[in-house]
Amino acid sequence: MIQLPKTIPRWLPPLLFIGALSAAFWRAPAPLAPAFEPPPTAAPSLLPASFSSEMLPKVAEWMQATSLTQLPDGRLAAAWLAGSAEGAEDVGIWYSRRGKEGWSKPLPIANRESTAGGTFAHVRSVSDPVLYAEGSWLHLWYGSTGFGGAATNVLNHSVSTDAGQSWIKPTRLQTSPLANISTHARTPPLPLADGGLGLPMHHAFIATHGEWLRLSPNGQILDKVRLPNPTPTLQPAVVALDAQRALALLRDAGPTPGKVQIAITDDGGLHWPVAAALPVPNPNAPIALLRLKSGRLLLAGNPQNGREALLLWLSADEGKTWQASRTVEAATDGGAEFAYPALLLGRDGRVHLAYTWRRQGIKHAVFSEAWLEGGQA
Amino acid sequence: MNAVAAYGLLAHGLIFGAIAALLPLGELRQRAALIATATALLAGIAPVMHATFGTPSLTLLQLALLQLANKSPSPLTYRPALGLLLFAALFYPMALGWGGFDPYALGYQPWPLLAALLPLAAALWWCRQDVWLTLLAVDLAGYATGVFANLWDVLLDPLLLLLALIVVSRQAVLRLIAARIR
Repeated sequence: MIQLPKTIPRWLPPLLFIGALSAAFWRAPAPLAPAFEPPPTAAPSLLPASFSSEMLPKVAEWMQATSLTQLPDGRLAAAWLAGSAEGAEDVGIWYSRRGKEGWSKPLPIANRESTAGGTFAHVRSVSDPVLYAEGSWLHLWYGSTGFGGAATNVLNHSVSTDAGQSWIKPTRLQTSPLANISTHARTPPLPLADGGLGLPMHHAFIATHGEWLRLSPNGQILDKVRLPNPTPTLQPAVVALDAQRALALLRDAGPTPGKVQIAITDDGGLHWPVAAALPVPNPNAPIALLRLKSGRLLLAGNPQNGREALLLWLSADEGKTWQASRTVEAATDGGAEFAYPALLLGRDGRVHLAYTWRRQGIKHAVFSEAWLEGGQA
Repeated sequence: MNAVAAYGLLAHGLIFGAIAALLPLGELRQRAALIATATALLAGIAPVMHATFGTPSLTLLQLALLQLANKSPSPLTYRPALGLLLFAALFYPMALGWGGFDPYALGYQPWPLLAALLPLAAALWWCRQDVWLTLLAVDLAGYATGVFANLWDVLLDPLLLLLALIVVSRQAVLRLIAARIR
């Protein structure tokens, strides 16, 4: 083995080590104990029963996996996947805003070329986006694969400071030791008390389980916590119940018949012990979760027999019990598929729901809490 | 351009050059390494390696630089390679979901890990492994730059383990051949 030159004194390597170790200690983050930004105080929604729906602008044959957010100026913004087919090289992430005159002309905001250009790595395809407005910053997290299937997904992050007109080059989030693969995000982050964000995600290589990524206010990863579950689980959807407690509902990727799986933290996200699955069916399909203005929780998902219907459930007791509320859409013909729901609470108290409509487009529905209780629109 | 992406691309170019420097090309070895590095960066080999193996660790980059600088034999001899493989045999399955403990997550707030490196460094110094102690010091200095989010990514990576596996396998094959000749 090579040796250091004889001219180098023997005390120099340990001295270098001590200096570097001191610098590393100085650099290592030492964040405060984690806490969620407490949700607003519950208040009854006074909006009358209303329901309306519309299709998002069609940009390709295949469209899926919408993410919704509300911009500081009140406009709704959506990002979704579109291309010739799922996993195809031409799949990209498209973006549109809804103003008074309806949805704007969609813009392509990420694809394999732009991702490869930012990360200096080969990219074969991009996957599910997560859009989130945080003040004047508009975050976009999305997946990309280089070689291999979905299990090799890498998480990327980009930011826009002009409401989505232009985006900085994406960076890869270092979330896994094995070539940084197999991290997926699909549901929106939660704001944390320290100004950072908590991003729900899942890992799907060797083991399949939910994960919780704690980000500092400047985007640095501070912690990654596993959501253990004896059942394979995907795509945690998380709502904060107070500063320390949060509820995560997860897609069941285990044997059928599946149920919505659950994890609850009571220490700001440091631990997510498993709890008994909900008596709500889940046919290994994505779900969405939202805390309403009234403080009740709203869950969107599919029934046991598959994705031919999209249903809503309500909980008035922080997720302990759930009651079926509404069927948003259902059909029995072979091509029916109403899936990949995304929920957002508008600042006016209306609920926005976007979902994949027959894999041909994205439907956007807007309704009030009164409609959920059976009120006629 | 972000720092970690630029580092990953450049490091993979140099690693590819170091691999070329392993070829028995005599006097042409250095030129071949230079051409291989440039080819990797310009012809898209480095981005493919970056996508396949992820961001290389500083440990691997330093070993590649030693190879390029013709400082051989490599410090990654049989015993360090075997130790690395044994550690990785536990670390990677746990980090990828085997059991409830995720050792990779320790690397985001690595105070306990950094403290654990002190006795390791003392052992390296005691055993006169000054080169490895220097490599470790450069790793930590690299972490202190803030380019890496996780301390583990500075220390090891899958390509380094592949290299360690080759070193260990080669030694095992040589021992087998020697035993048969006897």
